[in-house]
Amino acid sequence: MDIHPILQEFLDKWVYPTGFTGPGYDFRMRFTERCLPAWNVATLRSVEAAEKDAQDPSREWLKNNAMAGYAGEGPQMSIKQMSTQLLAVSIEEQEKYIELQRMRAQQIWDEVKHGQLHADVLLRGKFIEKEEDLMESADANTLGILSYFGLTAMFPHIHPLARNAQHYFFEGTACLGIAVRIKYMDDPLDLHDNLSQYPEELMHFMEGKFQMDAYALTEAEQKPIEEALDFMMQPWAPTLADALTLDESLEAEA
Amino acid sequence: MAKQPDIIPIKIDHDKCTECRMCYVVCREINFNAVIIDTAETHLHEIDMDRCVYPRCTVCLMYCPADASIVESETGKSLVPPPAEAWTEDKRWPRRA
Repeated sequence: MDIHPILQEFLDKWVYPTGFTGPGYDFRMRFTERCLPAWNVATLRSVEAAEKDAQDPSREWLKNNAMAGYAGEGPQMSIKQMSTQLLAVSIEEQEKYIELQRMRAQQIWDEVKHGQLHADVLLRGKFIEKEEDLMESADANTLGILSYFGLTAMFPHIHPLARNAQHYFFEGTACLGIAVRIKYMDDPLDLHDNLSQYPEELMHFMEGKFQMDAYALTEAEQKPIEEALDFMMQPWAPTLADALTLDESLEAEA
Repeated sequence: MAKQPDIIPIKIDHDKCTECRMCYVVCREINFNAVIIDTAETHLHEIDMDRCVYPRCTVCLMYCPADASIVESETGKSLVPPPAEAWTEDKRWPRRA
């Protein structure tokens, strides 16, 4: 497999450096090997989309991206994620995983900010007149990425560490997509959206990286993370299935 | 812990830091607790050089997501993303199941 240069840069800067050795880090490296083909195809797809969008003066893509972001990255989902983390982790384990709870609480602040960021793009792009208009739009309030925004709220019920598959694999994909937009797009609102978002998505990726390195030390702790990745790679998970559908023309380009 | 002469002061660049507190979390994990909230001046995350042993420990650099937000105090050299010499085998914390 030829690694796309944007993915290679991501690997060298953020994936391979580690603060720990041992079974957690070894597990993460094996996990990374599973992520690589999907990350590579997702990067190629993002490049393809960015090149297409850059040629489209209608900026309909900007509206669609912001709508999807507004729907998917709102406080509603992060509150669900934090509350399920609180409700699902046993009292005996709460102390051990207290930082996971705090990270979820932090995420609510980030997601509120992101909801505003996407509304800001829609307002400044003149796609809506006021934020309240979004209440009339189904597109701004629903997102069909089942594997990520739906049942992932249930991951803590499986194991306190299960969500790390999401943090690591899916947020890694998000970081790559954003890196592509920053490199390929010069639309000021698109850049504003992506530059604002990048450190937060990378922070979620780092949550997964840290928790795998530091906490996923036994087979019992690693298995639920692995199973969560299996779940996210199911062919019925819409967006991910796109990323995982090997496209021969893209492969040839790579 | 007695300070050693090879310790290099580092600091958080608040123009770059996003206050995500990953550095606080990982430093707490290894029980150094060198990342603190400064209650006197900035009221932000800061690195307590009475506790930090950089470059002997570099764990905070490995999980910081904000480019150039941790720097060497004197030179301003960026440590995020971490340079290769910052995560050599001898600088990693062993974890055993």
